[in-house]
Amino acid sequence: MMTIQNIRSIDGGGDQIMLPVAETSVAAGYPSPAQDYFLGSINLSEHLIHDTTSTFIVRVSGHSMQGAGIADGDELIVNRARKPVDGSVVVAILDGEMTVKRLRLTPQGVVLQAESPDYPDLAVGELASLTVWGVAETCLHRL
Amino acid sequence: MDVNSFYVSCERAFDPTLIGRPVIVLSNNDGCAVARSDEAKALGVEMGAPWFKLETDATFRGAGLVAKSSNYELYGDLSSRVMQLLGRHSAWVEVYSIDEAFLGVRGTLPELQQLARRMKQDVMDHLGLPVCVGIAKTKTLAKLANKAAKKNAHLEGVCVWEAVTLADREQLLGRLPVVEIWGIGPRLTKRLNGLGIWTMKDLRDSDAVMLRKRFSIVMMRTILELRGIPCIPMEEEHEIKDQLIFSRSFSTPITDTHGMEQVLGIYAQQASARLHKHQRQAKVLSAWAMTSYYNTKDNHQPAVTVALPGPTADPLLLTRAAKELLPQIINGIKYARAGIVVTDIRPTGTQETFEPFVNPHEAKEIGPLIQKIKQRHGASAVGLGLAGMKAGPEWTMRREMMSPRYTTHWDELLVVKAG
Repeated sequence: MMTIQNIRSIDGGGDQIMLPVAETSVAAGYPSPAQDYFLGSINLSEHLIHDTTSTFIVRVSGHSMQGAGIADGDELIVNRARKPVDGSVVVAILDGEMTVKRLRLTPQGVVLQAESPDYPDLAVGELASLTVWGVAETCLHRL
Repeated sequence: MDVNSFYVSCERAFDPTLIGRPVIVLSNNDGCAVARSDEAKALGVEMGAPWFKLETDATFRGAGLVAKSSNYELYGDLSSRVMQLLGRHSAWVEVYSIDEAFLGVRGTLPELQQLARRMKQDVMDHLGLPVCVGIAKTKTLAKLANKAAKKNAHLEGVCVWEAVTLADREQLLGRLPVVEIWGIGPRLTKRLNGLGIWTMKDLRDSDAVMLRKRFSIVMMRTILELRGIPCIPMEEEHEIKDQLIFSRSFSTPITDTHGMEQVLGIYAQQASARLHKHQRQAKVLSAWAMTSYYNTKDNHQPAVTVALPGPTADPLLLTRAAKELLPQIINGIKYARAGIVVTDIRPTGTQETFEPFVNPHEAKEIGPLIQKIKQRHGASAVGLGLAGMKAGPEWTMRREMMSPRYTTHWDELLVVKAG
């Protein structure tokens, strides 16, 4: 029998990212008596991931999405179940390759738009096979 | 519900270049094909075909056959997501295997049809995995409906048994052999054939009481289930059973006491970790080793059973117990498998009153400490004795053609091009 170890769901299972947060008082008026009370932790997964079953993290390679704030090496939080609309940043499968682009649904057809003057937009021909793998919801960009 | 060619589908969900190609997934140590895409089946790749033969076969190479090592991390993660998703459609889910589950559902036939379609669509939308859904009054018929859904393209992956016309159902049951019934293996099939029972219909219409006497109550249940009378209830999920087994075959045989000591130490510590995780303790440990089934010349199968000093999950005690097998190991013999089993398992803290036994290691919480260190610094950061060796010992699994562990390892995320 083979045992499966080290399986963790994307929200990290038990190891969720917790940051302490305390309520800050507003500038005017007298300080809230609750000011010093600890209010619990922020669970980053809870705020960044809308649906744990359909969300995956992917890593970007390349510079064509710089204009959208997505740099080479950034991670994207991608929701596979979300319906793409005009303007969504999507992970698309174009002729077998996974690529990240902005989806444009124009009267002239579907365009995968780059967000950098150095890269051309890709007009998706009628015969090309395009599949939207998922919709990117958040970019993790290290500073 | 079950996922079509689950392992292959998991690979394809992250690697679209595999779609439409013949793909197989190999067993432990890249031994043989344990999962095949439809294209691989059509090429004639047999289930269980050894990789060393497929690899050199010009026909398969010419057809572009792709082999992948088992990526248990990926399959395990996707499986748990599938099961979570199913839980949204029914609170009554019995996970039957990594890629199969039974769900309790209610509704009119059109409602059930719709529900099944929605479930199928949901798993595709969320995870990109193709599934088939079969709905019926009993588990046995649900399995059959699932099979029908899989084999008949016009059903589009969904079959509500009662919604199929009576004539079609009868025809199907009359055509399918008993061996394809859930729970009827080849051995039972032979015996049933001997009684003139060949098809599913034959079995359904046979004398259930007579067959219970000849076989067992299990056979009678199957017959009643084929008639639409539920006899196999939905099971509660059982996290940990009455025994835990840790066993594997080695990629290269172990031929000395030293190697065996290392293996047994690692298994014992895995057992300890599992027991701790589920807050269980065991009273008995067995350890065994064996030579290959094909090695008739030097056949050797030493085994030992050790009563532990008390109910325990302590890694030191379990390791020590497992090592009692060592005196039986003969240097020079090629051992192909080894394993340990812990039994007589009970929840932690329910020791009998007159067992004045608290072992010193347990009091020091060495087991949980090791787990904590491993969690923070990785699975190979620390271990007891030879199990703590940093470099992977050579008998660990061979997984040369493994795809990245996309969903569980930060360094192995799916890479998408922005080019």
